[in-house]
Amino acid sequence: MAPRLAWFGRRRRERELDEEIAAHLAMAEADRRAAGQTPSEAAAGARRDFGSEELVREATRAQWGLGGLERFLQDVRYGARLLRRSPAFSAVAILTLALGIGANTAILSVVEAILLKPLGYADPERLVVLLHRGYNPVAPANFFDWKAQTRSFESMGAAELWSANLTSGNDPEKLTGLRMTPEIFPMLGISPRLGRFFGASETRERVVLLSYGLWQRRFGGDPAILGRTLTLNGEPFTVIGVMPPDFVFPPFWASEAEMWTPLDLSAKTSNREGQSLRIFARRRRGVSLEAARRDVAVVTAALEREFPGTNRDVRVIALQEKVVGDVRLALLVLLGAVGLVLLIACANVANMLLARASARHREIALRAALGASRGRTIRQLLTESLLLGFAGGLAGAALGAAMLRLLVSAAPAWMPRISDARLDPSVLAATFLLALLCGAAFGLAPALQSSRLNLQPALKEGASTGTRLESARLRRLFVAAEVALAIVLLVGSGLMIRSFVALRAADPGFDPRGVLSLEVSVTGTAHAEPGRRAILYREILERFRTLPGVRSAGAINHIPIDGDIWGFPYLVEGRPLPRPGEAPTATYRAVLPGYFATMRLPILRGRDVAPTDTLGAPGVVLVNEFLARHTWPGEDPIGKRLSFDGPDDHPIWVTVIGVVRDAFRGEWGQAPEDEAYLSFLQRSQLLESTGPQAAYITYVVRTDGDPTALAPSLRSAVRSIDRTLPVSAIQSMTRVVDEATASSRFQAFLLAAFAASAALLAAVGIYGVMSYAVSQRTREIGVRLAVGADPGAIRRMVVGQGMTMAAAGAAAGLVSALALTRLMGTLLYGVRPGDPATYVAVTLALLGVALAASWLPALRASRVDPMRALRGE
Amino acid sequence: MLKNREPYRDPIELLQGTLDLLVLQTLTWGPRHGYGITQAIRASSRDALQVDTGSLYPALHRLEREGAVASEWAVSENRQRVKVYRLTAAGRRRLVSERSRWERILEAMAGVLDATKAPATGEA
Repeated sequence: MAPRLAWFGRRRRERELDEEIAAHLAMAEADRRAAGQTPSEAAAGARRDFGSEELVREATRAQWGLGGLERFLQDVRYGARLLRRSPAFSAVAILTLALGIGANTAILSVVEAILLKPLGYADPERLVVLLHRGYNPVAPANFFDWKAQTRSFESMGAAELWSANLTSGNDPEKLTGLRMTPEIFPMLGISPRLGRFFGASETRERVVLLSYGLWQRRFGGDPAILGRTLTLNGEPFTVIGVMPPDFVFPPFWASEAEMWTPLDLSAKTSNREGQSLRIFARRRRGVSLEAARRDVAVVTAALEREFPGTNRDVRVIALQEKVVGDVRLALLVLLGAVGLVLLIACANVANMLLARASARHREIALRAALGASRGRTIRQLLTESLLLGFAGGLAGAALGAAMLRLLVSAAPAWMPRISDARLDPSVLAATFLLALLCGAAFGLAPALQSSRLNLQPALKEGASTGTRLESARLRRLFVAAEVALAIVLLVGSGLMIRSFVALRAADPGFDPRGVLSLEVSVTGTAHAEPGRRAILYREILERFRTLPGVRSAGAINHIPIDGDIWGFPYLVEGRPLPRPGEAPTATYRAVLPGYFATMRLPILRGRDVAPTDTLGAPGVVLVNEFLARHTWPGEDPIGKRLSFDGPDDHPIWVTVIGVVRDAFRGEWGQAPEDEAYLSFLQRSQLLESTGPQAAYITYVVRTDGDPTALAPSLRSAVRSIDRTLPVSAIQSMTRVVDEATASSRFQAFLLAAFAASAALLAAVGIYGVMSYAVSQRTREIGVRLAVGADPGAIRRMVVGQGMTMAAAGAAAGLVSALALTRLMGTLLYGVRPGDPATYVAVTLALLGVALAASWLPALRASRVDPMRALRGE
Repeated sequence: MLKNREPYRDPIELLQGTLDLLVLQTLTWGPRHGYGITQAIRASSRDALQVDTGSLYPALHRLEREGAVASEWAVSENRQRVKVYRLTAAGRRRLVSERSRWERILEAMAGVLDATKAPATGEA
């Protein structure tokens, strides 16, 4: 007969066996009554003859060809019955696990969506980028040389930022795109959703591929998009393809790119000056990153000898490293925190199981006496804890989904990709597995402990003091470990919070409140004509100044923090010419009058640029304090001259007319570097170049009220001058600042959430152990009270025990925190990893929690009724 | 029938493997339920053989799984629903082989026990 595994089949067999045994007993009883025994004698005799029903059942069941599965199911059913029988215990254990698993799943999913989202390229580990110093772009001639002379790459391509005004259709819009050599798409190993890529023969064609998002947003997902002509920067482009929805390229730097078009470098093959290219390459199979680096080092060293100053410090970086590199540390810290919380949750449940296991000594001893083997008992206990782990995993998945929804809906705009966050199946599977492993791990200790115990004393009332002590020690150890872990987390999050507060309090040099910025681009419009821009830019500025609510207005090429950063090498008058490639570099800014007043960026000496500082007038520049101080230490910089243009032997000089306070340039909290503010109206390259790289300007407008309320009137002011002008990137400066500090805030927020749950779990742990200890000692406490002990002394004793545990854990935690938070060094701003205030505050907070958690059981202990405690157990 | 007697004073421990033989033999007299089997064995051994229920039911269920016996539910004379076991063809074959095995054991045992002197093994 085939083994019947079906549930119902089994249930029926159980029922039938019960009936068979009942019939046996009934017949034996009837025979005994017939022989003259009294009914009760007969019943007792029949039962005695029969022996243990349970044993008969167990032995008979064993003949049913029980597979491991069925035995397992039997254990599961037994375990479930036990869990149901002590609902409070089960609920707390499952909730604890659910908290650990749920929080971890939700937060890992967010981290995954924001930081780790897979690039979606084929074989991404072989993709690399080549950049000067690891971040500076590359000149075309170098690209051609590297491509021709290196041996380590199966393909190499170049990409350049492309900003394009889309003017066909109703709303003119400035879009970010990329110009790329044709190698890049095939190198990524992806294919378009619609249409095709451009080929090597099309580098001069005006063809474009759109992102899925742009196709949906601007063209409603029109399937007939292929072959359509778009007007980009005033020129017709043919759409040849649409990329898949999740396609992102490049994954760092211009990751908002929505269009890709061929890059024609044929006119620049010997250009070693214009550094505008990012180089992407795919390593040959079998060529290690180190080998590729050596290859590139040899090639660039030779080129540097031939063309000095052009090939210095070229770095080959794995693309994934480039993408994740900056956030890796933050990620590791978060993952560490995640792990700690789960550990604490597991320790808590282990603790509860330990406590229960010692309460169940007699039951287990009984099972052993009835013939259950040691392995069987361990398996039974393990099954119970696995069951807990499984239930906790299920509850955790549900909790995780709920928490993720909450996180997504509560997330402010500064978390760009969080709306993409889904409960990641692999993350869920991993945490689920972890819960089961936890179950196995914490199930094992009590199981081994229980099954090791000696049957004889355990069966006797009140014995087994030895094992009980041992398990109490183990449980205290667990709680102390929890406290230690919680301290580590609390210190870490305390440091992050302090760092975030310091970061937010940092002075950027300007006052972002009340300022709105917006970008106007002339590419592809009638105003792109040389000569017209200077007039247009001033006209817009004047129009803005007349609008109601506007206090002041100004303009700059790129706003700080959010805008692009152009580094220009410069010469200082009267100094020897630097060697090629070694000239100092300043951030290149060009401003219209009123920029400094509007940003409240103080001019410390000298004056602002004037409307008269135009192309015909002598060139002027304002420099930041940093540049002034190190270039002319102890001298008055006003009247000194710098050069940003012209050949080295005939530099075009600009005179310093003012010194401006140091301000944050790109990243929030960054130390100042050289910065130069030239007069926009004197920069022919910004006023006359037709390339999209220079044909835009960013206005800043200050108001007393909410700056975003100004957006419509500013937009219509621009429209009233020329309705084809695209207005983009309208945002308040406070939002820019929020975004700049968002990652710090995000980390502080997540770590605080972890630390709070850790502290909560540790409190549950202390409370659990102390209440259990009190309930075990009810009798002893009753005796003490009966012989006149002071309830206050009882309270002190219980609280003292709890606090000893907590203090031991806290000490260990502080030492570990001192060691571990060193790793956070570069994540912190304005606070040291060993910050004493944080340590003291955290220790006090946790000891306070521990006090509260042991106070409740202490209170219960001191209220034990001596009579009741002595009378019964 | 058992009145005032101590029936289990000296029960004989059943040899390993003999229970199957006894059960199968008992069933050759007709289908029986578990209790009936214990009674039959006890009666036919004149109370010498006491079958332990903790061995009987596992044995019955194992023999059923192995196909030596089959079972069905019936109603006893005092209207008790009972599970009745009967011998199958395979069970009969099994009985024959078990029985011959048992007889060989008995013969061998008797040979040892009835010997009046030690067999010649070269020892003095």
